Amino acid sequence: MSVLLELSGKPGVIAVGEYSYRGDRFSVKGELSDEMARMASIMCRTTTMSEHMQARILDSFCPDCGILPPQGWIVRGPMFTVCNIANVFCFLDNNTGSLNEIVAQMRELLGDTDPKLI
Amino acid sequence: MIKRPLASDGVLAVCSFRDDGAHLEGYGFMPDEMLRALTGFAHEYKRIVQGNQDQLSMFTQMRGWTPPGGWIVRGKLLTVCSVANLVCVVENAEGHLNTIMRELQELARS
Amino acid sequence: MTDMNKLMSLNGAIAAFRFTDQGELEEHLIASGSDINEDALDLLAHVCQANLSIATMQARGWEKVSGQGGFYPIEGFTVIGLEWSAVAQGNYGVVLKNEGADYQTAFNLLGGGGAS
Repeated sequence: MSVLLELSGKPGVIAVGEYSYRGDRFSVKGELSDEMARMASIMCRTTTMSEHMQARILDSFCPDCGILPPQGWIVRGPMFTVCNIANVFCFLDNNTGSLNEIVAQMRELLGDTDPKLI
Repeated sequence: MIKRPLASDGVLAVCSFRDDGAHLEGYGFMPDEMLRALTGFAHEYKRIVQGNQDQLSMFTQMRGWTPPGGWIVRGKLLTVCSVANLVCVVENAEGHLNTIMRELQELARS
Repeated sequence: MTDMNKLMSLNGAIAAFRFTDQGELEEHLIASGSDINEDALDLLAHVCQANLSIATMQARGWEKVSGQGGFYPIEGFTVIGLEWSAVAQGNYGVVLKNEGADYQTAFNLLGGGGAS
């Protein structure tokens, strides 16, 4: 089963998507229009790029202390949360979804993604 | 060729890099290791600025923000400025940013 | 009011910190035997503040364009590293080991809503 399909069936998951690190492709499953899916992919890719730069800078302050390579990030709003591991993101309803379960599953499926792909 | 900005007042270093971030050349009053670190920062910062500009365009639907022509980060004593795949470190007290940016734009076009 | 000692009681917590609106480290606790230091925490605090600002910009833009509310104002940000995660909300953050990290409770302790 594909990662997107597996995650999209979880409770509280509004949409899951995948983007290419080059920024030229994306695919999304769930309740997002094509335009929103495109916007979400651009936003998530940008945040991931930024996270990688910050992690490399952090590592220079604290060499080999466990930040590199970064696996992902979470942004939490009052009703929804976005979590991203590697190049896959998930929009989650805070009331009906379990953030811990989703992040654990995403890390299991995607945590070992080669950071050189960035 | 990329050494030209070093002749301008206040320019401490200038580096160039490839699109994939590989360090090409670096000159100035800094050790080679720092020049390479500057290149790494500039490459990553360029991608982040690009991403943020894409978002600004996307959200405002306003033309003219992308692709970004460059960026300037101004600190208390030093400024880092970049155009295309070139980056400079400038002393605020000595350098004239307009001149240096113009120089970088000309270099990037050549 | 966020209690840094409570944050340190989270499973796998190695540090808790408070930072200014500019991202400067104001107060911190580090678990004994942990690899992290004050300098790294100071930078981490700046990272958290920077990302909260970027996420706020994204939420603002997203809501205006899509008409879908629920993200703004941004409450929290987490960066998940290779071995540990930093969870930040408001002016506080906590660093957790990835294995067994309880993000939900961390966000709740830091002041957000949602089920745990």
